[in-house]
Amino acid sequence: MPTITIDGEDYEVDGEQNLLATCLSLGINLPYFCWHPAMGSVGACRQCAVIEYKDTEDQHGKLVMGCMTPVKDGGLYSVIADAAREFRGGIIEDLMTNHPHDCPVCEEGGECHLQDMTEMTGHVQRRYRGSKRTHRNQYLGPFINHEMNRCIACYRCTRFYRDYAGGSDLESLGRNNQIYFGRQKDGMLENGFSGNLVEVCPTGVFTDKTFSQHYVRKWDLQTAPSICEHCAVGCNTAPGAREPGNGGRAILRRVTNLYHRDINGYFLCDRGRFGYDYVNSDHRLENVLAARGDRLIESTARSGEKIHRILPPADAVGRFAQTLAAAQLGRRRLIGIASPRSSLENNFALRQLVGGANFFCGLARRDLELLHLVDRVQRDPRIHSPTTPEIESADAVLILGEDIDNTAPRIALAVRQAARNRQKQRARDLKIPLWQDASVRQLDGNPSPVLLIGTGTPALEEIASEILHCTADQTASFATAVVGFLRRDEPEQTELPESLRELARRAAERLSAAQRPLIVSGCGNRSVDIVNGAAAVACALAECEQGDREQCDLYLACPEVNSLGIAQLFPPGGGQLEQLAGQLRAGDGDTPTTLVILENDLYRRCDRRTVDTLLAGADEVILLDTLLNTTARHADLVFPAAATAESEGSYINSSGIAQRFYAVYEGAGFIQESWRWLANAAAACEEYPGNDVLAGCQHVHELSAALAGKFPALGVLAGLGPDEHYRIDGLKVARQSHRYSGRTAIRARDHVAELPPHRDPDAPMVFSMEGIQNAARTTLQANIWSPGWNSNQSIQKFLQGVGGRRKGAQGSRRIERAAQPLEDWHPQNTKAAATFSAATDLVLVPLHRMFGSDELSARAAAIASVIDEPYAVISAGDAEQRQIQHGDLLQIRIDSEHYAVEARISATLPRGTVGVPAGLPGLESLDCHLPGPAAVERIHGGESP
Amino acid sequence: MQTNSLTKPLTKNMGPENVATSLDSYRANGGYRGLRKALRMAPADIVTTVKDGGLRGRGGAGFNTGLKWSFVPAGDDAPPVKYLVCNADEMEPGTFKDRLLMERDPHLLIEGMIIAAYAIGAHTAYIFIRGEYHLATARLENAIAEARQQKLLGSNIDGSDFSLEIHLHRSSGNYICGEETALLNALEGKRALPRAKPPFPQVSGLWGKPTVVNNVETLCNIPHLVDLGIDWYKNLGRGEDAGSKIFGVSGRVRNPGAWELPMGTPIRQIIEHHAGGLCDGLKLKGFLPGGGSTDFLGPQHLDLPMDYDTIGKAGSRMGTGTIIVVDDRTCPVGLVLNLSRFFARESCGWCTPCRDGLPWVVQILQRIERGHGLPEDLELLREQAQRMGPGNTFCALAPGAAAPILSGLDLFEQDFIDHIARGCCPYVVEPEVLEAV
Repeated sequence: MPTITIDGEDYEVDGEQNLLATCLSLGINLPYFCWHPAMGSVGACRQCAVIEYKDTEDQHGKLVMGCMTPVKDGGLYSVIADAAREFRGGIIEDLMTNHPHDCPVCEEGGECHLQDMTEMTGHVQRRYRGSKRTHRNQYLGPFINHEMNRCIACYRCTRFYRDYAGGSDLESLGRNNQIYFGRQKDGMLENGFSGNLVEVCPTGVFTDKTFSQHYVRKWDLQTAPSICEHCAVGCNTAPGAREPGNGGRAILRRVTNLYHRDINGYFLCDRGRFGYDYVNSDHRLENVLAARGDRLIESTARSGEKIHRILPPADAVGRFAQTLAAAQLGRRRLIGIASPRSSLENNFALRQLVGGANFFCGLARRDLELLHLVDRVQRDPRIHSPTTPEIESADAVLILGEDIDNTAPRIALAVRQAARNRQKQRARDLKIPLWQDASVRQLDGNPSPVLLIGTGTPALEEIASEILHCTADQTASFATAVVGFLRRDEPEQTELPESLRELARRAAERLSAAQRPLIVSGCGNRSVDIVNGAAAVACALAECEQGDREQCDLYLACPEVNSLGIAQLFPPGGGQLEQLAGQLRAGDGDTPTTLVILENDLYRRCDRRTVDTLLAGADEVILLDTLLNTTARHADLVFPAAATAESEGSYINSSGIAQRFYAVYEGAGFIQESWRWLANAAAACEEYPGNDVLAGCQHVHELSAALAGKFPALGVLAGLGPDEHYRIDGLKVARQSHRYSGRTAIRARDHVAELPPHRDPDAPMVFSMEGIQNAARTTLQANIWSPGWNSNQSIQKFLQGVGGRRKGAQGSRRIERAAQPLEDWHPQNTKAAATFSAATDLVLVPLHRMFGSDELSARAAAIASVIDEPYAVISAGDAEQRQIQHGDLLQIRIDSEHYAVEARISATLPRGTVGVPAGLPGLESLDCHLPGPAAVERIHGGESP
Repeated sequence: MQTNSLTKPLTKNMGPENVATSLDSYRANGGYRGLRKALRMAPADIVTTVKDGGLRGRGGAGFNTGLKWSFVPAGDDAPPVKYLVCNADEMEPGTFKDRLLMERDPHLLIEGMIIAAYAIGAHTAYIFIRGEYHLATARLENAIAEARQQKLLGSNIDGSDFSLEIHLHRSSGNYICGEETALLNALEGKRALPRAKPPFPQVSGLWGKPTVVNNVETLCNIPHLVDLGIDWYKNLGRGEDAGSKIFGVSGRVRNPGAWELPMGTPIRQIIEHHAGGLCDGLKLKGFLPGGGSTDFLGPQHLDLPMDYDTIGKAGSRMGTGTIIVVDDRTCPVGLVLNLSRFFARESCGWCTPCRDGLPWVVQILQRIERGHGLPEDLELLREQAQRMGPGNTFCALAPGAAAPILSGLDLFEQDFIDHIARGCCPYVVEPEVLEAV
């Protein structure tokens, strides 16, 4: 370990970092702009100047840029030397010559890195007397504001957008001090990670446009650590909420990244950042609704849908308690339907209420089977589910049939970094440190092998070394062939064309030659064969003679935030919706049945007929959910459930990491966590056993503990994150900042007295500013700042060194599933050669969309505005054969349902398949049919065929 | 003009009336003899010859050319693809030597490039030429075509195993492209930003391959150095540095122009003898020895020889060796303003002191020149220019821009003070000069 001296103090450092990062890791303040912990150094802003001395005799030293200076053993540096300080102040003065000083009207104000760094340099007086240059701002879409006059030209935006995230439509344009960061012309930023510009930009050039709709200063936001609920990656977020001044309901106002080293690091995708707004949407349920008994004479509702009225919550709980009582007395059957988008605790509460035998998972058979398969694969000791830094360090990647750019975007961003590993290796050979980004990126640009097999993932194609566009079956066959080559069996892939055999052989060679190969796949195609194939490749690699690894990295993307969690609650083979529908159909009819549905729109899960049967088989349907959806329209009683940001609980992500999230604010109206409604009902029911964990449940941690006891794999839940008894110096952690304003005024319209803050019985946190405000001592605090560091860049103050873990306990742990080796996989039939008949039936395959495929984020206003109208993608060959042109109206018929969609022609989609955007608004009920055959034909506008 | 092939290798084929740019006439004057000799030598020997000959880069930095070549990986393990790039983006204010060479003797450059490419093992070479050099472009295009026709370019050059293609790339006009790594970026179609070093281009240059970037004049030195040998070459120089060089003088002298002279020729001789001294009635107030990005020197430096190290010790740089003369009736504040305006415009926008400091400097200078300067402006100006010192910025553009400002503040201090004290520019512009402009 090298020892260095900074301003007379000796420090032992790792020597891997540059001088700037070293200083920051040591807690020494040194201002910077262009350097970023994930993007490295380029030496553009010249802000982090320090003095480096040759030896102890050297009195003057030399000015060097901290970010460009490797730390050397015995190095002598000064941060506080006058020459360095004056230089840094001068740089600020230079940067400010064109900055408009519009902090009072700038949305970055109060969390602005430029403000912080300006303060830090001590520079206070501007001597510039000239005029300032002005720019024209651009429309960049519904997510991002653009205010170029504030730009200080640190180049972080284009470095992130282009170099890190692979975008192409944001550029640095022009030169000298007229430099402009924008698009060639106005228009929405195309890259799915554009929202990170808001955090990457050190000042207010790029700000969050959705936040602008309900803007408050950072210090007026109430925050808590949360988990993004819009996919299964499990990115950590810091949502912020606040009531409006008019006494109205609290609004969730924005989401920012919350650093987690092993998952999201510094970045979120746009679905995760801008999807939060669904909780504020017009579709939000805030009251208890009950179906009215009166007959419908005329209504816009479809048949079977109900008209609701608002019911006082106490009445509704009473009614629910009566149902419970009847069930306890055996006069009523109570069935619970779980949800992969609800917390483990909510699901477990429902299981307690209805009993394991009456507990169903809320997924169709093939979806649950697939989740069980993923779980099964991850239990194999040869398989390792990699963390994001591990994915980034892979030096050969095989992506099998999963469009991770849309199903697990943050993972796609990590894979994009893995593609640079050959370049990084070259840098190591040349002894160029990897943080030296400007140097590393100019090296020989051959990417590390990334093999893309399947449909979709167009955004990753540019970094792929080999691309094979093929069907799910062919993807699985390809995987089989790779396994054959890896095992050096003579693969019996006679039906695989020679060119594909060759590709499979190359893939096997590259993967086995790699130090850290990575296989990526998932549930996106709903193909058991693909997941099995991916697992087989990973197992074969783990056993491969080349390399001394015992495990192989395999990332399997799950569909929803708690998919893998729900899979833990059901034994393989049971719990699917079809089974329930069958039971209800075959029911004796004497025992009335109540369905209790937890946060689940069943019409997205199974075809309409099955769901109609299911709902018709029950004479009472009770739903707990956040948004008004099709299932809600059929329910007799609807309880408003808390969204993720309004509740506490835990989710398990695709890698099997259990994570605790905390309520950011109290939901408006009568919103409360689903488990609380269930516990209220249980408590109100005299017949319900009082000793049951649910009936007496006061805190969510009691459910977590019970879960941990019940399911051995979930044992980690017991100690996951601090519980409500946790205190620091006798205090809970404050969700509001020191500077939270208007506490006494905000409800003054309605109340003269200051109301006490909302209580939070679940978390060791308070909905007020009284409490611990030091995020370095606990990960509970999500409002990240530190003296002198008001922007999100202050996160480095709370890490164990730059790029390290967060200080304090982690709210995330890997679940401990019993190891169980997979049996050798022999696909029953490889269907690679299978060609689909050219009859009217084509096979619909799912295409995942970052905006539109996720149920909840699609209801966020900004995201809703960019979701495509229903369309389907057809291969050029099929289109020609069927005389379909781009933009034609197509009709897709499945069972009795039909959908009108616009045709898009694709050159890469395999013949015989039609890509349908999964879950797209308007096509939600089609999702359960994907993949599957359907009749697709052109609608002849107006003319009779 | 009588030329002696032994003392003026660069310009021996040039004459005022005799614009002989054809391959035949070049050959008739002994052209491509150096190449023939080179192709019989081992590449490593050529590198040694150039290194030992003491040829220093004529683009301004004066780095030993052979030494630069020797950093290129050679041997069996070396990357198969390497590049040679000729930096012909001559945009240094006051400099016109490369233009002369390319317009008047294009085959000399091509011969030099073939030898250089052979020495480093490159099979593709680029000439990155300033966009405004139309005549040079036309003549080079013609010369390349001639050379290809006569098998001096293409495969199996002159019957050897060596193959080379030369591509001419016209720059869209950016001073920063004179910086070799910005040039490489521009050649790759990227923004012309300088690259971080290391890696140096010799290891990872154009498209990540080993690349040597040499100035036009440097490459023109190669054929005769290889042909006539180290001793001859060293003897060409009068002082410490070897070889000859094209020196130029601009400004209000009687006979502005460029001349090939031995390295180490005294400045006085260049200005007074070759350029004919200052125009009638004018006195020398100072001069920039090697283009707009060098420090002013004063009359006391006239007897210094034009050697890299000598000029360096005097506090300036020999740069491109093209002198800009300042007379006593030219406003030095206006001159510094004019230069600063150029550098501010040409800043690539990458690093702060250059991008934001230079426009500020221009504003201050403009204020002083117009008579609106304040006494504290001088200190501010000095502070700004010092912030652009070597090492403080990403590349050498800003330190170059700062050089005439800082040295001007020292050498012409009274002029700056007078501007501020009188509230106007004290230099009256004569009508005849105005007409000439």
